[in-house]
Amino acid sequence: MGVISAIGHSVDENHAALVNGKTGIIKGGGNFPSRYSGILPFGEVLIGTEELKTKLGVTEPGVTRTTLLALHAFNEAIADAKLTQNQLTAADTALVGATTVGGMCLTDELYANTHGDAENIEYVKSFDYASVNLYIQTRYGITGVINTMNTACSSSANAIMYGCRLIKSGLANRVIVGGADSLAKFTVNGFNALRILSDEACTPFDQNRKGLNLGEGAAFLVLEKEADVADKKIYAEVSGYGNANDAYHPSSLSPEGDGPYLAMKNALDSAGLKPVDIDFINAHGTGTENNDEVESRAMLRLFNALPDFASTKGFTGHVLGAASAIEAVYSVLNIDRQELYPNLNFKEPISGIGLQPVQAHSVAAIKHVMSNSFGFGGNCTSLIFSKVQ
Amino acid sequence: MMSFYIHKTTCISPQQTFGDNIDIATLHPSVDNKLYAIEPAYPQFKGNALRRMSKSTRIGAGAALPLLAGAPQPDGIIIGTQVSGMEENGKFLNQIIEYNEDMLTPGSFVQGTPNTISSQIALISNNKNYNLTHVHRGLAFENAVIDVAMLLNENPRSNYLLGGVDEISFNNYTLDTLAGWFKKEDCLNSDMYSSTTDGSLSGEGAAMFIVGNDKQNAMAQLKAITTIHSADVEVIKTRIKKFLEENLADGEKADLLLTGENGDKRSLPFYTSFDSLFDNYTSIARFKHMCGEYPTASSFALWLACNVVSGAVNVPQHMIKRKGEATGFKNILIYNTHKVGQHSCMLVSLPV
Repeated sequence: MGVISAIGHSVDENHAALVNGKTGIIKGGGNFPSRYSGILPFGEVLIGTEELKTKLGVTEPGVTRTTLLALHAFNEAIADAKLTQNQLTAADTALVGATTVGGMCLTDELYANTHGDAENIEYVKSFDYASVNLYIQTRYGITGVINTMNTACSSSANAIMYGCRLIKSGLANRVIVGGADSLAKFTVNGFNALRILSDEACTPFDQNRKGLNLGEGAAFLVLEKEADVADKKIYAEVSGYGNANDAYHPSSLSPEGDGPYLAMKNALDSAGLKPVDIDFINAHGTGTENNDEVESRAMLRLFNALPDFASTKGFTGHVLGAASAIEAVYSVLNIDRQELYPNLNFKEPISGIGLQPVQAHSVAAIKHVMSNSFGFGGNCTSLIFSKVQ
Repeated sequence: MMSFYIHKTTCISPQQTFGDNIDIATLHPSVDNKLYAIEPAYPQFKGNALRRMSKSTRIGAGAALPLLAGAPQPDGIIIGTQVSGMEENGKFLNQIIEYNEDMLTPGSFVQGTPNTISSQIALISNNKNYNLTHVHRGLAFENAVIDVAMLLNENPRSNYLLGGVDEISFNNYTLDTLAGWFKKEDCLNSDMYSSTTDGSLSGEGAAMFIVGNDKQNAMAQLKAITTIHSADVEVIKTRIKKFLEENLADGEKADLLLTGENGDKRSLPFYTSFDSLFDNYTSIARFKHMCGEYPTASSFALWLACNVVSGAVNVPQHMIKRKGEATGFKNILIYNTHKVGQHSCMLVSLPV
């Protein structure tokens, strides 16, 4: 596994922050010029774009911050999984990544390019979503199946699901799955125009929540067949996944939460598990009025007795296309370390619902973790990670 | 393994490919180096909804909905697109700069995400099933095809809506022109194959397919698909040879090649090398003068191939590059490359 987020530049750093309840949300914005820098809180990765290039040895022109974050997490993941150069270039190694910003992080540069400033053409080839994975593919000479998906905030959950299915279908024997997004004027202004950005640190599942904080980062995980793992460490298994559409509204969830309910239910069915088997839910929990209420109702609809649940958005902010991959790493840590991490900033349950998320770091016996991701366009995906016996 | 049957297909393209009076014999000309989709009236969308939709959502949903009318709900909606919604994204980027990040309206931001097509189709048809959008540039549609093929292995009795959509927007046209992918000098689509310069003509379209494992009443079978990432002509040649050996039975030949030749001198060596794999038996036809170059243009080729093997359309003279000895077109091989590095091959056959 590899991860870079507002709470750390490695799995170990992220883990330490989760244990210590140390948030990464600050009124920053130093790495993307915006009138909201220093005014709105963000989950910002505290390393400059040029410094990232130097650290990663990236010298080619046209590599965006989104791609650099992806490469950082990708490098940690393949080193952790001890993948060799031969394995990376083998025809049975696939790369499936997700992003919602891609090269669109370069708002001003794109504007300049499309309005006739022909001097500034470094990024014209990297404006799309695929540019992130195509760079990684070229850098490492990956020849197997390569794919990029964008289903808004559930993008990297779908990348993880797709990776599993590539292995099951025999199209790949190992798949590097994940996602990356960087803070950008584009998304900051989009969510701000929708009036769902909080001017304070987000408070998922709290009665007085004011909206979400955007974050940036990336995470990749290496999926391999159990038979191929040999003496390498197995953190966990992806035991189930469910994908459904809410079919209600372009940017909000239905009051009944059909999409979230079906995604969770389909994930349970695919894992062959019952609701009672789930020990913990890593909730989508963005801190918006709409999501937290609908997600709560959908969880209550599916689970007779709701297991422990928490959102980690109070640590990292909402990392959009990378959120599910980052939270997949956290869900795997729940299992690997047998512990739960707090839902930060919670004070008062939502009236009429009354649910309380986990609020402190604790040791717990965890076998099965469900991780939820719900996106614009009603694109809902839930994953289940399980302890390998 | 990577195989399924195509039952119905629709296509909104720069040619007369949609509705009751399909006519591909008449070639509609390009305008200012662009081939714009001929849009129908869209009776399904009400006034406000239509005005809010991006063009890619309009043509995508507009092509999909007739396939869904009066039919059982598909078990999933799987769309390939590079950057659908780019026009809306562009509007939003312009707002950000011109209004200095203040007092913005979110409409274009929401409509600008590429999963808007699959989610709008789901919303309009109340489909809560599997829903996914692949955006891997020149292989976005191929990855959607692979997704559907895997789904049909996982759920053999299901049916899916599969589509490929992209639009010409001011933003992506300008960016791709700056990057050298579209011709800078005036060129008509009817002359594009004799061009000796870099770049192609810009195009757009939406092709939709209802697919499943049921052979009965199928119009065509997608027998196999492969994707290749390389800028090396020899690597591509070797991989395609292997693909043919694995997927054409002994003594079986490709009757027709449908290639994505696009008038860009940098991609021509790949197409020439591909053509050279086949003897005089095989006819060679081209399609990019009809739809233009766009990242999911292979979906237009698949629409063509389905209609040719099923006998719904004949291959018009303007498509023919080389007339072969084959008398009927039962096995069609589609080869396409986008921006030189991404390649795909699909084998389409008459169901037997």
